[in-house]
Amino acid sequence: MDWLKIIENTLRASIGVDAIYFAIAAIGLNIHFGYTGMLNFGQAAFMACGSYGLGMTAQYFGVGLWWGIPIGIVFVVILSLIVGIPTLRLRADYLAIVTIATAEIVRLFVRSVKFNKVFGGTEGISNFSRQYRELNPFEPSKTYGIRPFLFTGYSIFTIFVGWILVGIFSLFTWQLMRSPWGRVVKGIREDEDAVRSLGKNVYAYKMQALVIGGVIGMFAGMLLALDRGSVQPDNYSRMVTFYILTALVLGGLAKVSGSVFGSMFFWVLFVLSDNIMREATRNGPLRVAGFTIIESNQVGAVNYMFVGIGLMLLIVFRPQGLFGNRQEMALDGR
Amino acid sequence: MPMTKHFWLKAFLMVLCSSFTLFGLGAGTAQAAEDGEFFIIASVQNQILKDSKTERTPVAGVTIKVTSLDGKLIGEAITGEDGLCKIAVPTRDNYLIDIDIKTLPDGLNLIDAEKTQVRVNQELFTTSTKRVTFFTGDSGVAGASEFERIMQRLADGIRLGIIIAMCSVGLSLIIGTTGLTNFAHGEMVTFGALVAFFFNVNLNIPILICGPLVILISGCFGLLINWGIFARLTKRAIGSNSQLVVSLGLSLMLINIYLFLFGGRTKQLTSYSKQVNLRIGPIGITPRDLTTMFMGIGILLSVALFLQRSRFGKAIRAVSDNVQLASATGIDTQKVIRIVWFASGALAATGGIFRGLDEQVSFSMGSDLIFLMFAGITLGGLGSAYGALVGGFFIGIFVEMAALFVPSELKVAPALFILILVLIVRPQGIFGRSQRVG
Repeated sequence: MDWLKIIENTLRASIGVDAIYFAIAAIGLNIHFGYTGMLNFGQAAFMACGSYGLGMTAQYFGVGLWWGIPIGIVFVVILSLIVGIPTLRLRADYLAIVTIATAEIVRLFVRSVKFNKVFGGTEGISNFSRQYRELNPFEPSKTYGIRPFLFTGYSIFTIFVGWILVGIFSLFTWQLMRSPWGRVVKGIREDEDAVRSLGKNVYAYKMQALVIGGVIGMFAGMLLALDRGSVQPDNYSRMVTFYILTALVLGGLAKVSGSVFGSMFFWVLFVLSDNIMREATRNGPLRVAGFTIIESNQVGAVNYMFVGIGLMLLIVFRPQGLFGNRQEMALDGR
Repeated sequence: MPMTKHFWLKAFLMVLCSSFTLFGLGAGTAQAAEDGEFFIIASVQNQILKDSKTERTPVAGVTIKVTSLDGKLIGEAITGEDGLCKIAVPTRDNYLIDIDIKTLPDGLNLIDAEKTQVRVNQELFTTSTKRVTFFTGDSGVAGASEFERIMQRLADGIRLGIIIAMCSVGLSLIIGTTGLTNFAHGEMVTFGALVAFFFNVNLNIPILICGPLVILISGCFGLLINWGIFARLTKRAIGSNSQLVVSLGLSLMLINIYLFLFGGRTKQLTSYSKQVNLRIGPIGITPRDLTTMFMGIGILLSVALFLQRSRFGKAIRAVSDNVQLASATGIDTQKVIRIVWFASGALAATGGIFRGLDEQVSFSMGSDLIFLMFAGITLGGLGSAYGALVGGFFIGIFVEMAALFVPSELKVAPALFILILVLIVRPQGIFGRSQRVG
């Protein structure tokens, strides 16, 4: 087993593009989930809004790449209204049901044959990122960085842009939650009725929070699309939301640094166990005492199983995550 | 409970560590040399029904594309006069084969319009070539009249409705009695189907004999989930929203265990798999589907009767209505909750077996249905058993009927429409009592 390679891959994953887009999506989800107490299980759909907003600019609207941002925001607002209007007056689990269903149906829509002309079907959309690539000051084919943090010129540009975005959104969220608006939103999480009795329009605050967190999630989708150079529907399955949720809970809810470190840590653990299992099964299935324990094509399933177990254990035994504050952690209002 | 807490943590860590050591030890033992050339052969055939026999003719000039799972184009080719094309691939791996429907000759369409993409799994790629076939032609229903199509859809809808209703009762009762929105309920449906598959295919026991056993096992599986997880969480005073997230984690874990054990393919139960359609008026239905339909109706009626008449049924409804009030009248709520988990596992499994007979068995068959279940119980009213029966049944019919108007790949979308509409107009559902909200 090539431990050096495994450790290098693991370290690289901690600052790689996956960790970055998870961090951005988790910051957005944190506004819903950690600060406002809204169970949004459809963050992947908000990400898809960003990616498809970006992807459709050049392809269908015939405008520059940067128009993707306003288009994406329009998509996010529409999606927020669809999931928010019926559910935000009701108990928290209604939002969970509707977001999870909407996210799945958004994915079915964009990958459908029927709307192939608009969203590109299962192949998705590519050839939209030229303007972005032209901004790249690095040589795309060269390798940059020091071992083990070696990236191609293309990735390193995305990583720079990504970490700048993470910084901006962290700062934004931190300031937002210290503002009067943030205090109201946190009050809604603790006791909705109390906030209402103070004359605040809880419904409007929740809707605003949904849109703000959704817009941040949208940037995660955009970054993913720019990094991959294509938009593909299956990158936005509901499982993605669950993994982001796990990363968020791992870092700690209602804490800005929690989203960022949680995502980094999630990818470190994920890549570590994935690499170890892949190395172990590289030369055929792993057998112990004549029994096949695991084959190489089962590695993904086992790893995702660990994510599920991890999510359960975290919520039960350490709901505040690694960095969170138990006082702030109120999934269930007291 | 500090003891149990540490026990569980330690147990988990031990399992984790030992599994890692296992992987560590096993590395580099086996080796396999794979070389030579690998091909994917794609074939496009036009299928026509002539005198109740299918005739196939090759279709030339169709573009076929092979891509890797991460979207990289591996190769592209155009079918020749024999309807075949050969695309070289680097290794035995997972590939996606797409047919470009725009290049099909005029007038030809794929039989299954959704199947523009076929996935080649590494595990099935055993020889040096892998063959993939796309069929064009009509699926035999195009000749049917509008009325016949509607009736056929209605019959399909009733079957789906029965399955959804069966699966949703437990989901709704759990919400009613424990306040938990169980996102792992779809996995309980899959559990029943997979255990039935194991008995039926691996052990070769007919479904009719092993069915009751499977249902019993699945009921116990429900009890186990309650005993192992949710009852403990309630005891630790972990709130229902946290429990909801735990159920998500459970769902994630279970679906991947199924994927690990069962693989990603859909497989068929052996019992009653090859049957010819009976014609009943305008509807074509297999004897198997007819039987499951009547059995399903029987089961649903007995569930309703049980809830309405029996002591336990009344107790369940009482707890579901108001837990405090019910326990004040001397009902053992814990016992009721256990019964509900058992019943919910058993009914979900029954639904899973029926679904497995109806369609096929796959690791994600339950989670594919969970949106429909949620739409059904929301329509009926969260927590209401009768609501779940009626709502689930209606959603099943509605979804199948909607497929007359929307493409079949999007046929669950109208269920979401109903879900949202209900929440706007009458959030408590048909049978729910309105609470003061907002």
